[in-house]
Amino acid sequence: MMNPTETIRSIQNNIAQVIKGKPAAVEMTVVCLLARGHLLLEDVPGVGKTTLAHSLARSLDCSFKRIQFTSDLLPSDIVGVSIFNRQKQAFEFMPGPIFANIVLADEINRTTPKTQSSLLEAMSEAQISVDNQTYPLGQPFMVIATQNPAEYHGTFPLPESQLDRFLMKLRLGYPMPEEEKKVLERTPSLHPAEELRPIVTAQDVLDLQAQADNIFMDESLTDYLLSIVQATRQSELLALGVSTRGALALNRATKALALARGRTYCLPDDIRELAPIVLSHRVMVARAQGLRSRGFEQAESIIRDIVDSVPVPV
Amino acid sequence: MSLDQAFRVTSILLAAVSFITLFLESHLPGWLTFLTGVALILALVRVTESNSDSSPETRTGLPTAVWNILVILGFFGFLVDSLMSGELLPAGVRFLLVLMVIKLFNLRCFRDYLHLHVISVVVMLAAAALGADVWYFLLFLVYLFVGVWTLLLLGITKQLEDPDTPAPALASQRETRGSYDRVTSQVFQLANGLALFVFGVTLLLFFALPRLQGGFYQNGQGAAIRTAGFSDAVDLGSIGPIKRDPRVVMRVEPSGRAPDGKGRLYLRGIAFDHYDGRSWVNQLSRRRVVRETGPGLFALNGSQGERGRPERPSLQLKIFLEPLDTPVLFGAPFMEAVSGNLPAVQVDVNGSFYLSRPSATPVEYVAVSKSTAVLPADLQPSPVVYHEAFLRHFIQIPARSDRIAALARTVVGQERTPYGQAMAIQDHLARNYRYSLEIPRAEQANPLEEFLFNRKTGYCEHYATAMVIMLRTLGVPARLVTGFLATEWNEYGNYYVVRQQDAHAWVEVHLPHSGWIVMDPTPPSEDIGDVISPWQGWASMVDHIRLLWNRVVVQFSAADQLAIVRGVQIGSATIGQKVWGPTSRWFPPPTSWQERIVDLYDRSTTGILAAGFIAILTGLCLFMWLGWKRSRYRRFFTKASVQNDRHAVAKLYTDMILYLSSKGVQKPANTGPLQFLDTIRTQWTGAFPLATTITELYCRERFGRARLTSDEYTVAQNKLDRLMSLTREQDGETEKTGAGNGI
Repeated sequence: MMNPTETIRSIQNNIAQVIKGKPAAVEMTVVCLLARGHLLLEDVPGVGKTTLAHSLARSLDCSFKRIQFTSDLLPSDIVGVSIFNRQKQAFEFMPGPIFANIVLADEINRTTPKTQSSLLEAMSEAQISVDNQTYPLGQPFMVIATQNPAEYHGTFPLPESQLDRFLMKLRLGYPMPEEEKKVLERTPSLHPAEELRPIVTAQDVLDLQAQADNIFMDESLTDYLLSIVQATRQSELLALGVSTRGALALNRATKALALARGRTYCLPDDIRELAPIVLSHRVMVARAQGLRSRGFEQAESIIRDIVDSVPVPV
Repeated sequence: MSLDQAFRVTSILLAAVSFITLFLESHLPGWLTFLTGVALILALVRVTESNSDSSPETRTGLPTAVWNILVILGFFGFLVDSLMSGELLPAGVRFLLVLMVIKLFNLRCFRDYLHLHVISVVVMLAAAALGADVWYFLLFLVYLFVGVWTLLLLGITKQLEDPDTPAPALASQRETRGSYDRVTSQVFQLANGLALFVFGVTLLLFFALPRLQGGFYQNGQGAAIRTAGFSDAVDLGSIGPIKRDPRVVMRVEPSGRAPDGKGRLYLRGIAFDHYDGRSWVNQLSRRRVVRETGPGLFALNGSQGERGRPERPSLQLKIFLEPLDTPVLFGAPFMEAVSGNLPAVQVDVNGSFYLSRPSATPVEYVAVSKSTAVLPADLQPSPVVYHEAFLRHFIQIPARSDRIAALARTVVGQERTPYGQAMAIQDHLARNYRYSLEIPRAEQANPLEEFLFNRKTGYCEHYATAMVIMLRTLGVPARLVTGFLATEWNEYGNYYVVRQQDAHAWVEVHLPHSGWIVMDPTPPSEDIGDVISPWQGWASMVDHIRLLWNRVVVQFSAADQLAIVRGVQIGSATIGQKVWGPTSRWFPPPTSWQERIVDLYDRSTTGILAAGFIAILTGLCLFMWLGWKRSRYRRFFTKASVQNDRHAVAKLYTDMILYLSSKGVQKPANTGPLQFLDTIRTQWTGAFPLATTITELYCRERFGRARLTSDEYTVAQNKLDRLMSLTREQDGETEKTGAGNGI
């Protein structure tokens, strides 16, 4: 395999052919993959959330399944179902769409909590249980979920405890006018993501993930990270601070980002950059006003303020 | 020519000079000579042709691993070579040249040149060990000049440039420092002047400093063991005080016949002829030089009036003498020859051997002696007329010896022969007097009469003096001898240990036909009981190890070396016959080599040989150390020091932050290093490239667990210095970049 940094960069470039003008979001998506995390994309419809997930899956030589979440979706529609096989005189498990490397859970907040939780269990355990049988999921396994913050009719918002299962929560935002122009000028022959060629295999992804684990984080940086986490727990603006799982997530994401940036060690800048993305969906704002998306924006700015208040180790 | 290029050229010249020296001093195989020559010429051509602005020597096609494998192959070749030829040194030399060739093809970075320097030094030393002809001196002079040049250029180039700075930065440096980085006539004169100066100082030291052998300074003159009884005048009773001193004076290894280890061995020091009632004086102490009849062999002519005697068995003693305050060379009576690495040997009329001055280092020599036996003729009374001068010395008695003379006459009774009289007196003294060291060293008027008639106790000196004087009153020539009586046998090393407490005095009596014979009236002492302590065996083993150390390491001489070389040669020849015998058709036996080397060993002087040998070892150690220093495994071994100075660059970084904030570029406490770098770029573009390097090194060291090399530290230091010399215009956006920042 190539130099890991070059590999990661070529994945990013590949995705960037489709997702124009969003290099930061693309980078974070790849970092999330390297950190063995799941990604929650929250933004208004039509800014390329699904396309981003699709192009990531296309860039990897991996299996990809898409589940459109609706209010009548059942858990068995996700994990699969046991069907009686007449020839064999036995129940046979038919795997659901969750048995894929990259799973796109579109509009995750549109389905019932029961179905949501079956997905979330698969996300945290990397395995599913049906009829007292446990089936491990393939590796790498990454769930990219999208949700729409603008519309709240008929939705079931994910509680904080379940949001915690996502490593990052990203917003794409509208592209710049020039980039948007490029999108419009593209020949509309196919879905743009279909034209992408795979860059790496599933094994390569696993290797990269293993390399990200080996990135060195200095003790002072661990302390720095923990003091940020500690500050979220003590902040008066937040009703609920970051959990230990949140600290762990930030740690893993920092290492993956350092690998993506071509370093063998983490820097304080990595933590500063990732903290709002990794932490802000794990906290509960004390006096949230208005829409939940507003609350999320508030949380993000509170996290930023907290990060700014913690001195960087020199 | 730029300094950088000049450094490369002189480095290769250095290797070339050492190679030529080696070529002239020893016989190298043709292929190796050819290969090294070609490698040197190629390297020289490449270095002189290559434009120093481009990064040099990136053209070597083979990867490093191949070269490493070649080095390892070379090493195995060296092992096989040394086994086959049985000669460690020439095989080592060939291996060195292989290493040099590999390095010459592989000159990539700065360290490779340093390795080349080390190899050339070792080659030079090897050449010194293989021969010392006059052209070595001339080539050494050339080597010295080139060496000074190289070191000078090394210093200058190291100062001027950061070793890891890429070429563009070098080029821009050149714009600002153009006047320095060329070899100007001033530099030329300076280098040659330095070389001359070094050469002059070396010559001065060469002649002014004494040759060192052994631990010259470890045991100064003042630390030599103080002996008693071995000066030209000895007071009676002076041996007594040292009779309890257990310090080892010498170790004596009898050679030839297998020693039994039992019994007593007399080690003769000097003889005294004149007694004045209080003290003994050696009036015959005028010494003459013993001529060196062979290499290291000082033998008397055997013309001491002993012709016509039957040949007596000779006794060879190998003696390791500690540094004493006397120049006397001890040996069994009567010494005829001394051999060893001694500057000069003298002998006095009494047959005592001396060095020209007391040695400050341990002395090792072989003393060859022939004992005398009493001839049957001396058992019959026969009138003998001695020479008058002889009698003047050896029957001299102090005044007022009448009581002693009377005692002597009663003791001898009817004995007529000198031998019978001597035996009678010896018996009388041994039987009727008591040995004791408890003698007050009082200032008596006549200590001898005190001993004979009043106290009747005394020790060896008293006994011997009494016997000599009594014999002399009877007209029998006799003299007093001081020396050591060795009794302590070390069974581990099969040698005698002689201590201060073994100091002894005895008598030599001259018989008309037999000559001088040894007699000892002192009874065996009772108070020095041989108590076998449990430590005895342990102590003698330790003593044996010390002797081995002295012999094998401290006193390692050319003769020992030659013995080893010959031993290895014989051993390997037998091995070689077995191993290579069937294949000797393809491999010609390396006899010419061996003969030549042994010949060279024979001819070359001790100092150069030993120094060369040690220096080769040192050089190899240095070489390995350099390699080790480079390896990353060093980190495991130097963890402590990593902890100590791991924040060296962090300190520089803090300095940079302080300086920048004084210039108005603030680093808030909550910004990371990369973010701050962005701040610098927007606020002070001129400082950005320099700050980039410092920040990168800082991050690697501070957060990346990396241990920076001193080179990298120097780079950071230089960048910081240059950063601090920049001036910031408040309008940061329009500021021009400073010199050397063309990144």
